[in-house]
Amino acid sequence: MHRLVGRRAVTLALACLGATGVLQAFSPYFLTTANLTTILHNSVELLLISLGVSFILATAGIDISVGGALGISAIFIGWSVEAGWPLAATVAIGPLVGTCLGMVSGIVIVAGKVPPIIATLGLFGLYRAAIFLLLGGSWISGLPNTLAPFVNGAILGMPVVALYVLAFYFLGWLILRWFPLGTGILAVGGNERAARLAGVDVGKSKFLVYAMTGFLVGFAALLYVARYRNVETSTGETIALDAIVAAVLGGSSVLGGRANLFGTLLGVLLVRLLQNGFVLAGVPSLWEQVITGLLLLLVLILDMFAARNARLEME
Amino acid sequence: MVASFKNMRLAGLVAIWIFALAFFAIRSPAFFSLANVSSILQFSTLLALVTLGQTLVILAGGGGIDLSVGGIVSLSGLAIAFGVKGGLNPYLASLGGITFGGFLGLINGLLVTKFRLLPLMATLATSYAYNGLSVALTEGAPLSGLPMSFGTLGQRSIAGIPLHTVLIVLPSFLILELVLWQMPVGRWIYAIGGNERACRLLGLPVDLIRLGIYVHSGLTAALAGLVADSWLLSARPNIGENLELLSLTAALLGGTSIFGGSGGLAGSLVAVFFFTSLQAGLQMLNVNAIWQLGFVGCFLILSVLLDRIIRGEETK
Repeated sequence: MHRLVGRRAVTLALACLGATGVLQAFSPYFLTTANLTTILHNSVELLLISLGVSFILATAGIDISVGGALGISAIFIGWSVEAGWPLAATVAIGPLVGTCLGMVSGIVIVAGKVPPIIATLGLFGLYRAAIFLLLGGSWISGLPNTLAPFVNGAILGMPVVALYVLAFYFLGWLILRWFPLGTGILAVGGNERAARLAGVDVGKSKFLVYAMTGFLVGFAALLYVARYRNVETSTGETIALDAIVAAVLGGSSVLGGRANLFGTLLGVLLVRLLQNGFVLAGVPSLWEQVITGLLLLLVLILDMFAARNARLEME
Repeated sequence: MVASFKNMRLAGLVAIWIFALAFFAIRSPAFFSLANVSSILQFSTLLALVTLGQTLVILAGGGGIDLSVGGIVSLSGLAIAFGVKGGLNPYLASLGGITFGGFLGLINGLLVTKFRLLPLMATLATSYAYNGLSVALTEGAPLSGLPMSFGTLGQRSIAGIPLHTVLIVLPSFLILELVLWQMPVGRWIYAIGGNERACRLLGLPVDLIRLGIYVHSGLTAALAGLVADSWLLSARPNIGENLELLSLTAALLGGTSIFGGSGGLAGSLVAVFFFTSLQAGLQMLNVNAIWQLGFVGCFLILSVLLDRIIRGEETK
């Protein structure tokens, strides 16, 4: 039991419960089915993107361009819906664009040997400019409901969107736990030189991680457009930070070599739960960025102390 | 060899800049008017100040990067405007705001040196906190209505050169160059960036120097906030937007190595003037300002790529 779930997940689950208790005290509306559904609803895109970011952090990388890639993918999906493409093509275009953008990051980082923070910061600037230019200042809104069959409906009482998310997490877990690729990814993040000497294709592992994240971002864009049926210039502006916070909360180390997908899942829920709860408790939503930034600092500092204690215990 | 390479790189950058100037001058004859040159300098000050701080942070190595500079510009600008509107003596308010910027930098520095967080993670988190704070505290609306007398620094000019270029940017640059090249601390900054472990074994106060460098970055960002306040006679909560991307790009394009230990301020400053000329030129040609963001993003990646190709594998 302990091995299967892990101490991190237990801590996070308890943190979720604790936060729920406190927030419920501030707003009786918090613990209602309607509100909890809203929280889950708001978590979907972040769940997918955080999954990718967990893999990237595991290779000791970072991606702050995901928000820009989400916006661009969403624009292409929006256009294809407007143009009346068949459902299959509309569904395919988002992940396709996302994967291409992820591959761009991968190529710059692997072939160009540009540090991930520089590469993705530069690409983020580029993507944001591209979003403005593609949209031409106006938003895509009031799209027809073409994508509804793809996101509405349920199988055995589970909404299909939840099934998509769980399927991706299961796949991610399989790769990480049972496939050489996953072992390679963790090895690259743990000690790149050692991994290379041990025969891991470092470049391939890194490249695939960014491409995979691109795919997930594109899929998140697809769900976003299907559910909200509009694309704004600000779409995805702050999602990079949310994703990093969720992954780090979940137990991914920013130094690489570690990933905990179940933890990431709980981390996303905790982030969205807090953001929702603070609004219900009367904190203006403008404070969301501040709270998320401070949350990241808090987790990083706690992690640092935990690592230091673990080192001391070993000595 | 190293010196000649550095000069070649600087010369190359100056050549690109002159090429851009020539291009804009041909396409738009008014480009070289006194008013336009003056406005380029006007625009350059914010970026120049922030870039001076950013360059030192990167020079000192250890993965040094300050993503929170934009947030510090906005937040300390607000602090100054708040003080002045509250009836505080403008000099005192400015001094207070600059100290506040230094304090925000100190937080970054402590997170990096005491708590041993990765600089990029620590400053990413504080950048959201600082930017978020300046938007949340003002609800997104600028704090305007500063007295006209407060505009001297930001709006006056001597022979077409803005007062703040003469009074703040040039002296800061000269003093920092002097410190970097003539004082032990300056040499230590390069040494730490080059080989941190060796410096620790030598007994250099590595952490203290690094802490000071983040505080310095906060101070220069706050100075930029002061100039912005005085120029616009209002404090905008988003005035620092994109300055982290721009300053980082200027520093790297100017020849500072992302791994620290080599580079300098002169290149950074040339890159700043190049960017602001580009901005002004594109504006005169009626090109959407958002293009600049895209260009800068490309420059950032290209400058690191170029660095790798020129220096080969010696940078690891």
